[in-house]
Amino acid sequence: MNETERKQGEWEPKIIAFLCNWCSYAGADLAGVSRYQYPPSLRIVRVPCSGRVSANMILDALRSGADGVLVSGCHPGDCHYISGNYYARRRFAILKRFLEFVGIESDRVNFSWISASEGEQFAQVATEVTERVKRLGPARHLVKEF
Amino acid sequence: MLPRAGFQQWLQELSGQFEIFGPKKNEKAIVSWQRLEGGELPDMAPGVPKGSIKTFFFPQPETLFEFTARPKQDDSFRLREPEKRQKPRLVVGVRPCDARSVLLNSMPYKEDPYFQQNRQNVILVGLACRNGCSTCFCTWTGGSPVGTEGLDILVFELEDGFVLEPVTERGESLLQKASSARDATEAERQAVQEIRDNAPTSLPEAMEPASQLVQKDLMALYNAPFWQQLSDSCINCGTCTFLCPTCYCFDIQDETLRGKGRRIRYWDSCMFPLFTLHASGHNPRGEKVKRVRNRFMHKLKYFPERFGPLSCVGCGRCVRDCPVNIDIRQVMKELLAV
Amino acid sequence: MSTMNEKITEELRQKARQLLESGRVAAFLGYASGSVPMVMRPFVARTPEDADRLEWNSFCVLNLANYLPALLKSFEPPRRPNEPPPQGPLPKVGVVATGCWSRNMVVQIQENQVERERLVIIGISSRGMVDRKKVQALIAHRDVTAVKEGDNTLVVAGPGFEEEINRWDVVRDNCKSCVHPDPVIFDDMIGELKGERDLPDRFSQVEEIEALSAQERWKWFTSEIQSCIRCYACRNACPLCYCPTCFVDDSRPQWVGKSIDSVDTAIFHILRAYHCAGRCTDCGSCESACPMGIRMRILTKKLQKDVLQLYGIEAGMSVQEPLPLTTYKKDDPQDFILTESLKGEKK
Ligand code: SF4
Ligand code: SF4
Ligand code: SF4
Ligand code: SF4
Ligand code: SF4
Repeated sequence: MNETERKQGEWEPKIIAFLCNWCSYAGADLAGVSRYQYPPSLRIVRVPCSGRVSANMILDALRSGADGVLVSGCHPGDCHYISGNYYARRRFAILKRFLEFVGIESDRVNFSWISASEGEQFAQVATEVTERVKRLGPARHLVKEF
Repeated sequence: MLPRAGFQQWLQELSGQFEIFGPKKNEKAIVSWQRLEGGELPDMAPGVPKGSIKTFFFPQPETLFEFTARPKQDDSFRLREPEKRQKPRLVVGVRPCDARSVLLNSMPYKEDPYFQQNRQNVILVGLACRNGCSTCFCTWTGGSPVGTEGLDILVFELEDGFVLEPVTERGESLLQKASSARDATEAERQAVQEIRDNAPTSLPEAMEPASQLVQKDLMALYNAPFWQQLSDSCINCGTCTFLCPTCYCFDIQDETLRGKGRRIRYWDSCMFPLFTLHASGHNPRGEKVKRVRNRFMHKLKYFPERFGPLSCVGCGRCVRDCPVNIDIRQVMKELLAV
Repeated sequence: MSTMNEKITEELRQKARQLLESGRVAAFLGYASGSVPMVMRPFVARTPEDADRLEWNSFCVLNLANYLPALLKSFEPPRRPNEPPPQGPLPKVGVVATGCWSRNMVVQIQENQVERERLVIIGISSRGMVDRKKVQALIAHRDVTAVKEGDNTLVVAGPGFEEEINRWDVVRDNCKSCVHPDPVIFDDMIGELKGERDLPDRFSQVEEIEALSAQERWKWFTSEIQSCIRCYACRNACPLCYCPTCFVDDSRPQWVGKSIDSVDTAIFHILRAYHCAGRCTDCGSCESACPMGIRMRILTKKLQKDVLQLYGIEAGMSVQEPLPLTTYKKDDPQDFILTESLKGEKK
């Protein structure tokens, strides 16, 4: 999507992306340097490890008005801290199913593995997540209003 | 005197002027305070509804003010008064203990503009108790099942209708709008008198009035040996304090989101460790036994010393719903025995 | 003829008295009867005479494991935060435990909240505890003044009525769907071990909700928690919740607002339940403690179901086995990871 389309009023979701410092953040960087196109909907938060990302943080993003969340870490086996992403994988698997259980649409909260060399994959994931969230429309359920 | 239909009609008519609330069963069959529409009658089963009546005067939360929180803009950090409620409220089916609690809370909140404003905007229509339920003990604490303190109107339920007695001027003026009201007959007056005479004795055992605690030595009560065992069972939840109509402690927080903010006041509980935690990390009521003691000492000793009456109206909510059966009636007895 | 519970009560008092008399334990944690029907009072017996106040019946719903960390600590000499624990054996505490309570003790041992050596556990295989809210619903919410329990019946009485009801009809949902009634760790038993129950539909309460659409599930969730007053009885009744600062009390960042705002309440319930993932034993203490009749246990049951399905572990079944979310396998399922599922689609 380009600037003109946005001006024409097409809704652009806000997606909070928690990217691990060692792989996915570097992947995002590479996507930029290599000029891969991806939608401007991602707001990136750099974290030391995907294992650092707690359910609290994901829900806080939604509560503050994010339409979607992406958490991305190193591929299994590549974690800078050896096993952070393995623990994270269990926690996320349970969390994703649980959020679905209480009625949060499955595509709102996404997880991926992206290495420092996968710039293209990062652009792909960003596009894919944006499309999925767009299909769902703006998030309402956990957005606090007053 | 108003027949059933007349009472409903009266409520219906008032619904133009007021938002009407009363006890009503929710989807979980729990009687709670809810909106009543179209002349609906409140639930009149004996005893009080689950939740506290304080929600009308001391809501969870009260917005104290709103503000904008966009730095570097013209209106940044400008304070605004929160939007006012459109209509005043009228609460029907209020038991006398609950009405009395409003007066009691009004003592510490004498100069609190929010509480006092809510008091002006809420009319309380009481419902006299023919008989209480097994956890009622208003008579121990200085109240009565047919008491009028805090009410604007007191209603007696009879076989085929209601006898309404005005208590305040604003109650009186509302009663004048009841188009189908007629004077009570002699028999009806007598029925009301009977309720008046019999209701107080329908409650479980009388007790030496707990008001005598004021005369007891504070330190003797404070150091009484039973506190430890009592607090052994407590899980320090907020059930007792949040359901209680006479617990009035609060905390204040600023909430800021997307360039907007509000300062809210919300219920807090002396049962929570955080309640007294200092910024230094020191906690003067860090142990459970101190917190449990505080709740009862505040209600039964500190408050009466300062304001006169006990800060408990004997509604029995805490007795009914404490998950570990800590019973203020037993605490009163233990304290009186010190 | 005495009932089963009367016999258990008798034996329990005897065993507790012995433990206290011999000085083997400094205190014994059980239940005493309360002042209102159907609510029992968790009770710490500190003298042999106290032991005679112990009581056992179908209303012992609050998980006793909840009290253990603080109770054990109260028998330790006071020390500063970073001081090492004192040398030598510390006083012990006796406690009665059913299946789920003992499993919570296992979790507490795994999480270093209590030490096995300091517990003397008297096991009782559970017949299921009664949900007093179910009883109240059955008798149309009339005022109950007395409840008498037989082996399979309850006689409920109040002003102007007396009704006999079948005990199993009013047993709590978690107990009805429980497959591990036996204590998994104990030093002594009252009565026999019963063995696992075979219950193919133990997750039916969860499956019913899973079958709904996302929208319907959201509706169910929000209406279930709508009357929550944020009293935190559910949290405080739970033996898993011992964090010195709970996430609800964090203020920087503030994960969840403190009033009864509907979004805050929803986030509170999501996070409270999620913090119990892989640790919850479905003891039902939370649900029993809630004054508002909120069935938040369905949330933790869902987590339990998924943990079991994905990792084959149930919390607290063995001290040796690590808790499911504190461990991992290299080949854990990961089809939910976007980059993996996209790969799959391409193939
Ligand atoms: S007295 Fe009961 S209701 Fe109050 S905090 Fe203690 S356990 Fe909770
Ligand atoms: S302390 Fe208990 S009985 Fe007294 S007013 Fe509060 S809830 Fe009612
Ligand atoms: S809800 Fe979570 S943070 Fe709060 S006490 Fe329980 S485990 Fe700790
Ligand atoms: S969450 Fe509820 S069911 Fe699970 S262990 Fe805690 S109290 Fe028991
Ligand atoms: S116990 Fe019930 S009312 Fe209290 S916070 Fe938990 S769910 Fe809400």
